[in-house]
Amino acid sequence: MIAVDKRYDIIPNDFNFAGRASSDIKRTLKSMHFSREFIKRVSVAAYEAEINIVIHSRGGKAAFKICEDALYLEFVDIGPGIPDIQLALTPGYSTASEESRLNGFGAGMGFSNILKSVDKMDILSDPNGTVLKLKFNITEADRDENR
Amino acid sequence: MTLGQIIEKYKCNVYSRTPFNTGKEIRYAFCSDLMSDALMIMSTVRESGILEDSVLITGLATNQSIRTAEMLDVQIVCLVRGKIPAQQVIDLADESGITLIGTELTMFNLSGRLYQEGIVGIASKK
Ligand SMILES: Nc1ncnc2c1ncn2[C@@H]1O[C@H](COP(=O)(O)OP(=O)(O)O)[C@@H](O)[C@H]1O
Ligand SMILES: [Mg+2]
Repeated sequence: MIAVDKRYDIIPNDFNFAGRASSDIKRTLKSMHFSREFIKRVSVAAYEAEINIVIHSRGGKAAFKICEDALYLEFVDIGPGIPDIQLALTPGYSTASEESRLNGFGAGMGFSNILKSVDKMDILSDPNGTVLKLKFNITEADRDENR
Repeated sequence: MTLGQIIEKYKCNVYSRTPFNTGKEIRYAFCSDLMSDALMIMSTVRESGILEDSVLITGLATNQSIRTAEMLDVQIVCLVRGKIPAQQVIDLADESGITLIGTELTMFNLSGRLYQEGIVGIASKK
């Protein structure tokens, strides 16, 4: 059974709008009474991925699904892609612009943060765009809002 | 130290309009202008209750400071060196239930004073 199926637009270079999708994901999970720990894990990964589309791409979309014992986030953008994924995953590596840094992003730790939070991550990228898929396994403890 | 004591002692302006508990105990803090750093360090905290009793100290008076606090379950954001948030930042704080305050003190001076009062800095756990 699919319990949640939501989609969001992510606008490039808009630092006011940025974070809207992650905020809605967080609120949805809260209303479903997941544990704080689980919600934080998903929110932080979602926010890093959303910000990456804002600061590194020409815009894109996010999809948020909960299906049985797994939560899926999928971020799709319309380019310019990640030329060297291995390099992009290296902690500290960043091509963020000066403007992004002035807005508090671009320490090159986004992917490290995402990897710490997820159970599985897949990246597909070419100059036409990037797809980032994140999977979070849902355990019994994650469903307990008192944790 | 309570939120009320912090506001009084460091002559903080309270920008958000959502009611807050002046007796709320603040036990931990983290300061940075880089939200990436706040996310990286603060998201390593596993014990419950720590982030909820923390203040995020920053010179970044933008929506992203509020968003970062929101993602981490941090309830208080304190702007330093007299930064005045735009109306939309205040609105976002209200919408997210974040208490947004600000002081004239610099980041170093505010942090040093809070440290002297026994507020503990959040550090990364490997
Ligand atoms: N959606 C994307 N499109 C193009 N490049 C990206 C995208 N996401 C990440 N990257 C590349 O990967 C690098 C590392 O990303 P990340 O670890 O989040 O660090 P940061 O965003 O702070 O630069 C970025 O600097 C950028 O070069
Ligand atoms: Mg990033």
